[in-house]
Amino acid sequence: MNPLQELLSVKKHKLLSVFFTAGYPEAGSAFSIIKSAENAGIDFLEVGMPYSDPLADGPVIQQSSTRAIENGMTIELLLKQLNEIKGKTRIPLLLMGYLNPVMQYGTDRFIRDASGAGVSAVILPDLPVSEYLRDFQPLYKKHGISPVFLVTPNTSIERIRSIDNASDAFIYVVSSAATTGKQKSFGQAQKEYFQRLRSMKLKNPLIGGFGIHNNQTLSQAWENLNGAICGSAFLKKLAEYPDTDKAIKQLLDDLGPDSGNNN
Amino acid sequence: MKNNIKLKVCGIRSPANMMEVASAGPSYMGFIFFEHSPRDVSRTIAQLPLEQLPEHIKRVAVMVNKPLDKAREIVKKFKFDLVQLHGNESPEYCKSIRKEAGVIKAFAVSDHLPDELEEYFDCCDYYLFDTKSDMAGGSGKSFDHSILARYTLEKKYFLGGGIGPDFKTDDESLYPGLCALDINSRFETSPGEKDVSLIKNFMQNLELNKTSSINLSGCFPDKEGFYGKFGGAYIPEMLYPNIDELRKNYIEVLESEQFKYDFKNLLKDYVGRPTALYYAGNLSEKTGARVYVKREDLCHTGAHKLNNVVGQALFAKQLKKKKIIAETGAGQHGVATATVCALLGIPCTVFMGSKDILRQQPNVLRMKMLGAELVPVESGSKTLKDATNEAIRHWINHPEETYYLIGSTIGPHPYPDLVARLQSVISEEIKKQLLEKEGREDPDYVFACAGGGSNAAGAFFHFIGNGKTRLIGVEAGGEGADSGKTAATIYKGTPGIIHGCKTLLLQTSDGQVTEAHSVSAGLDYPGIGPMHAYLHNSKLAEYIPVNDKEALDAAMSFSRAEGIIPALESAHAIAALDKFTFSPDDLVVLCLSGRGDKDLQTYEKHYS
Ligand SMILES: Cc1ncc(COP(=O)(O)O)c(C=O)c1O
Repeated sequence: MNPLQELLSVKKHKLLSVFFTAGYPEAGSAFSIIKSAENAGIDFLEVGMPYSDPLADGPVIQQSSTRAIENGMTIELLLKQLNEIKGKTRIPLLLMGYLNPVMQYGTDRFIRDASGAGVSAVILPDLPVSEYLRDFQPLYKKHGISPVFLVTPNTSIERIRSIDNASDAFIYVVSSAATTGKQKSFGQAQKEYFQRLRSMKLKNPLIGGFGIHNNQTLSQAWENLNGAICGSAFLKKLAEYPDTDKAIKQLLDDLGPDSGNNN
Repeated sequence: MKNNIKLKVCGIRSPANMMEVASAGPSYMGFIFFEHSPRDVSRTIAQLPLEQLPEHIKRVAVMVNKPLDKAREIVKKFKFDLVQLHGNESPEYCKSIRKEAGVIKAFAVSDHLPDELEEYFDCCDYYLFDTKSDMAGGSGKSFDHSILARYTLEKKYFLGGGIGPDFKTDDESLYPGLCALDINSRFETSPGEKDVSLIKNFMQNLELNKTSSINLSGCFPDKEGFYGKFGGAYIPEMLYPNIDELRKNYIEVLESEQFKYDFKNLLKDYVGRPTALYYAGNLSEKTGARVYVKREDLCHTGAHKLNNVVGQALFAKQLKKKKIIAETGAGQHGVATATVCALLGIPCTVFMGSKDILRQQPNVLRMKMLGAELVPVESGSKTLKDATNEAIRHWINHPEETYYLIGSTIGPHPYPDLVARLQSVISEEIKKQLLEKEGREDPDYVFACAGGGSNAAGAFFHFIGNGKTRLIGVEAGGEGADSGKTAATIYKGTPGIIHGCKTLLLQTSDGQVTEAHSVSAGLDYPGIGPMHAYLHNSKLAEYIPVNDKEALDAAMSFSRAEGIIPALESAHAIAALDKFTFSPDDLVVLCLSGRGDKDLQTYEKHYS
């Protein structure tokens, strides 16, 4: 089991993860963000690998990516940074990014090096599940990397089942059919969708993301799913507060009193 | 035949012959996995480029009592659509393999219909009636067809067994339930080698396969949208249902009689097709060859873009979409979309980079006049690439009611194929017009500019792989193809993913897409349609860069020589003529993709 799988095997409720873009706001920000998040009791982290054309992302993540690229962030540099902090932190790490930079780095080499840097899982939203199964599954398995796939309210039942079968960590539940950071609140539609997923009794836990930014959205995700990921809202805090401890504290304040130190 | 009977060509064995047969456009092609047949491909199947077969030709694996796991392996490995079973396979066997592929259960017929048909009713998709023989068909002998008149079951059947070029039926009621004819040995020059002209004649005489008229290979992707290793659909899950809906429906809609009728009429009366093929005397003299200009500039709204828009808008209506969105670079695609949306009464939103808004003012004003909502895009390069990103993001956020009408042969499958098919009318007309004017269908050269590659795809389409025509795609070299300020994607690009497809693109070594540079907004795109990446790799077409200054100069001299002001994009294709040495009787077709009104500002700045 990789560290993320271990975490998910013992903690099944109220998981909280945050997303940030590597190289944002500064080229070397990752270490202090990871440390602050760990100290604040965040369960696991999603580290974004910046891409010039992030199709699934709204303006906040787009801007963080542009800035990170200007700061010189690359997969190479990110893996080097992660290698440097390996052993100094225990929080499970996921890498999230688009397929093209990974392809250029070399997919085989990427999975191997990510695993070597202590990464547990990889999310590549534009990698088709069918291509993963055909070309990459043995590679991921060999290096103990879990693939994570997205489902949306419009994903068909059969597809959800095949995604569940292909997964061995969790399923990323996109809150609504929209780009990141777009959702202002969750309503009846989200509730029904979350419950529909839950009633499918999938083998993997369900973690919700896209639009988690306050107590209402977090509670709703927590009530119906196993956990939640907060992205754009965290990046906004990072932009506002150069002190990463402060940024994460501000985020937790917004998310509600019971979200911090919840282990 | 009135009932739209399809054709299956069986017993294909060699790669070259396979592609040739594909060009005749049968609905099914059969490959025999049976060691005792002279047409056996068990050991040679891997050498056949099955992935190059167009999607509308279904691949059939013909087998005789093959162990189930072997059969399954063959189907999976080579992605067969159907299996055809000639042995004593049980209904359970059929049921089991039917989870992987469609099933045609074959029965040897002598003087009566087999008794066990009903037993197989629920476990196969079609029956096939063949003459009793020991070699899985191909015996060349036929049985007495009169027993078929008594066929009453609901299941459709294929008819095989000795069907030859002389087969005919004056009365289709003698064949109730017949859906396809299966031909093999009687259309061959030697076992496995089909005589394609015999097949073509046969199809024509019997009016077979009325629905698949497009018939060339090399220009269609495989089922998953791949042209060789390029293409595909690399999209986030949020887009999956949208794209899946298009993928599942586009061929059926495009091949439907209603669509063909509406499309043809709008092309004729609204777009103004066929566009002229004009013998450019002065240009010919200067070039030293016989140069014909395909006048896409005469299309309504001034460019080839309208062909694609009319087709996709009809498709969007068929899918009952309520809104249309589009990206635009030069504004030609935006204007074309705004135009057709006005005509069909569909609300329209166009995304355009703010840099392009400044350099293509006339088109901005036209879109506004036509009632489109224009969204300026401020992200990234502020040109076509980012306009496309924003259009896709908008689609993610408004998935159900919105149709994304893409403007070129780019994006995730099925867009490149969809757009290429709609633009293929360009080369279809060129063929007819050349035959009239020059007594031959295939020119020696076709020149077309390539941004995303739609006018080039359309102008090349019916000439691809014909072995006679050199196809030249002209890319924007910008300030020089090696200057770092270029849009010459094929020349400078490397394989990667842009806007959901695998193709060649301009990017940094760590995979960030870089900005393209061209004086012409319509070519200012860091990617290229996957079909062109494939044609380039397989040497079926050639691509060369032409830089800004060469294009601007060509625009001026062409205007003065022929009295036609070309679009700056098209001027790149004109300038490319200078880079070739022709012999005087070479027949050259130049695709003039658009007219230059929108570029007058740029021209004036350059010439003054
Ligand atoms: C007149 C004209 N030609 C060519 C192009 C390039 O597009 P494509 O390569 O898809 O034909 C454009 C694009 O806007 C155009 O307006």
